[in-house]
Amino acid sequence: MSSPSPQLDGLHYDVIVVGAGLAGSLVAKQLGDHGWRVLVLEAGTRTLDTWPGHLDAMKAYYGALAKVPNAPYRGNIAAPSPDLLDLEGLPGGGYRANGYFVQNGNLPYASDYLRAAGGTALHWMGLTPRMHPEDFAARTAFGYGRDWPIGYADLEPHYRAAERVLGVAGDAAEQRDAIGLPFPDGYCYPMHAIPRSHLDNVLAARLDGIPVRESDDAPPTTLRVVTTPHARNSTPDLRYDQGRGYRPAGAAGLPNYGERCVGNASCVPICPVQAKYNPLKTQATWSCKVDLVPRAVVSRVLANANGRVFGVEYQQYDDPASPVHTTRTAEADIVVLAAHAIENAKLLLVSRLANHSGQVGRNLMDHPVLLTWGLLDEPVGPFRGPGSTSGLECFRTGPARRDRAPFRIEIANWGWSWPTGSPSGDVARMLGITGDSGQPRGRGRFGTGLREALGRRIGRQISLQFAVEQDAESRNRVTIDPALRDRLGNPRPVITYDLSDHVKRGIAAAKAVSDRIFGILGAEDHTDYAPGPFAPGHFRYDGRDFVYHGAGHGAGTHVMGDSRETSVVDSWQRCWDHSNLYAVGCGSMPSVGTSNPSLTMAALALRSCEQIHRDLMDLHRPRVIRPVRVARARTGEGRT
Amino acid sequence: MDSRHAAPSPEPVEVPPECRGFVAISVRLTGFDEFDLRATGMVRLYHDTTVDQVGREAVGRFIDDLAAVGGDPDDLADETSRDIARAITHLWYLGVWPQLARSVHAALGREKANVAFMVSPEAYTEGLVWRTFHGHAPGAKPPGFGTWAAPPPGAAPLPAADCRTEGAA
Repeated sequence: MSSPSPQLDGLHYDVIVVGAGLAGSLVAKQLGDHGWRVLVLEAGTRTLDTWPGHLDAMKAYYGALAKVPNAPYRGNIAAPSPDLLDLEGLPGGGYRANGYFVQNGNLPYASDYLRAAGGTALHWMGLTPRMHPEDFAARTAFGYGRDWPIGYADLEPHYRAAERVLGVAGDAAEQRDAIGLPFPDGYCYPMHAIPRSHLDNVLAARLDGIPVRESDDAPPTTLRVVTTPHARNSTPDLRYDQGRGYRPAGAAGLPNYGERCVGNASCVPICPVQAKYNPLKTQATWSCKVDLVPRAVVSRVLANANGRVFGVEYQQYDDPASPVHTTRTAEADIVVLAAHAIENAKLLLVSRLANHSGQVGRNLMDHPVLLTWGLLDEPVGPFRGPGSTSGLECFRTGPARRDRAPFRIEIANWGWSWPTGSPSGDVARMLGITGDSGQPRGRGRFGTGLREALGRRIGRQISLQFAVEQDAESRNRVTIDPALRDRLGNPRPVITYDLSDHVKRGIAAAKAVSDRIFGILGAEDHTDYAPGPFAPGHFRYDGRDFVYHGAGHGAGTHVMGDSRETSVVDSWQRCWDHSNLYAVGCGSMPSVGTSNPSLTMAALALRSCEQIHRDLMDLHRPRVIRPVRVARARTGEGRT
Repeated sequence: MDSRHAAPSPEPVEVPPECRGFVAISVRLTGFDEFDLRATGMVRLYHDTTVDQVGREAVGRFIDDLAAVGGDPDDLADETSRDIARAITHLWYLGVWPQLARSVHAALGREKANVAFMVSPEAYTEGLVWRTFHGHAPGAKPPGFGTWAAPPPGAAPLPAADCRTEGAA
């Protein structure tokens, strides 16, 4: 039940979209192109879609001491964002959470997001692997997590549509052959694959075709280095779209700039030339039917007693450094929440909507990432090119999923930057500077000796990133507490998070695989999972230490299903309880597989647009005495 | 003009290069030559930062200590001077003034917070550390499409069959 209606401002649209990130920008684009009037309300600021705004973010990134994903983007107390620096590991294990999130789980939810026009996809890595067909039914096939109400085949055309709007570079034949992904005959991605890094080639030369066992009694798995699809501009494929080809989208805010990736090696947190897709590129193509209002924090979704929503209440502010704001309302026939999995859940909880199933905010998932790192016996050229250009895909599927979570292995192109903060840490250590300024310092080395030692060490750094599937668990959840609010008076997300034993077994298996790969490579393993300030994700399992990191892939909090009793949204991401309220984004995913989820989120959003358009058409159709069921059935417009 | 009738030209004035002493010391600290250091454009900023952070007196003692050991920073014995050497080197390699050792911070009686900071946005892009392994600062000085596929200097050649360069058209 919602509170009594506030005084309405009289602003009326066909659709209100809450959040100008990846999903919201795509929804606004599709519906605006169909002629619907769309209001996009963005909680954060809109400074990044002009070239001066982009350059300001570059300066902030250069000037930041810790190059965390949110480093380039200015802070905002009216619409605060969680930050990786909010988490601190404790000396004996455990963690402390500062900042926007309140965390009370056994383990920390270790990911951030960004509240600003463009959203978190401003600092995504840009990898766009599809989910595997077997990922959609892990409960049925392997006995863990939740099943999707739709399958790969339902989503396949939308994957293709998403690959077009994001501009994906990849090798479809290799994806089919190495991973078993079904594509329509003759399909190619819009652009040729991003070239492999030298490191990829070194690993392929040493690993391809070699069988490894993750434990002594496990069947062998054959290693193969596979190039990763990216939403990153490469060389257009002339065969694309039946020979029509593809024109890459350049930078937002500066015409005729951007296009192919030039190897800045800073995809996360910011691509200087915008060769990587970001939602600002989509916003630049919005029709004039779409209005974007930034600095508008939606505080509540407004609903009638009959269960239909009719608009939102939002807080408009001028200065992101001050909590001064004006409360306004806007109305629409359909409201689409696209504010991030955690923000969507928060809004539904605040508005007391959509929660017949009791699942709102539950099933919070991420991809816990296990990092391993070592030194190869020769220079590998770290810190060049996109963050990862290839991976090992062979542990993503198969019956081993019954026993342990599956994982995708990304070959990291940026040395030890993620696990140890290289090269800053290397420089400090070689100078004798320890983390604690109260401790005596080493003598340190200087001059040519320092220069050569650093080059030898950093130049040989390799790292593997194991993205482990996390299963949906109702105990992992977002709640709100009236006593815990941000400066605008909106509740802060209270997060309870942990890893299941299924996930922990996946992490342990990943480490075992890493040990074998490092052995084959002849790499000197430097992996270290000691607790400490930079290891908030430390835990012990089966007598051994591990540290996981967040992948920024928050999901599951308004979970999709086939029943109102057990899920929040239907397969169109439409709330079961409110026929004109949609919640789109990774929050709808019942499982995340081992794929970076943005492509799947985009495919789902595009699929939802079809249904939103049908809903709007229905609302605008004159009432007829005799329903024209035959015609609707023939055009396939029946709702499921 | 006929030079025979011109007034005798004044002695040519030698204009000293900027921060000559600081650069000479920085060459010994970093292992990079004067040309490389000056080309970063950071000499004045780093010099001023150093003086600002530890004070003229401490810088003077550091210069004297270094001179006393023949200019080789490896032989610096005084812990304060040695920590200043670490800080200046850290600055050159990363663009970041580091936290000083707590004891040195106290000994210098600094009236400012003992915290690390990036000296300027450009200081990050001019960090020397990237050059030690033939790299570049991420987000700056991009080498161009597909360059990441090329082996770095010193890498063993790959078997030709395993060199995949698809899409690098």
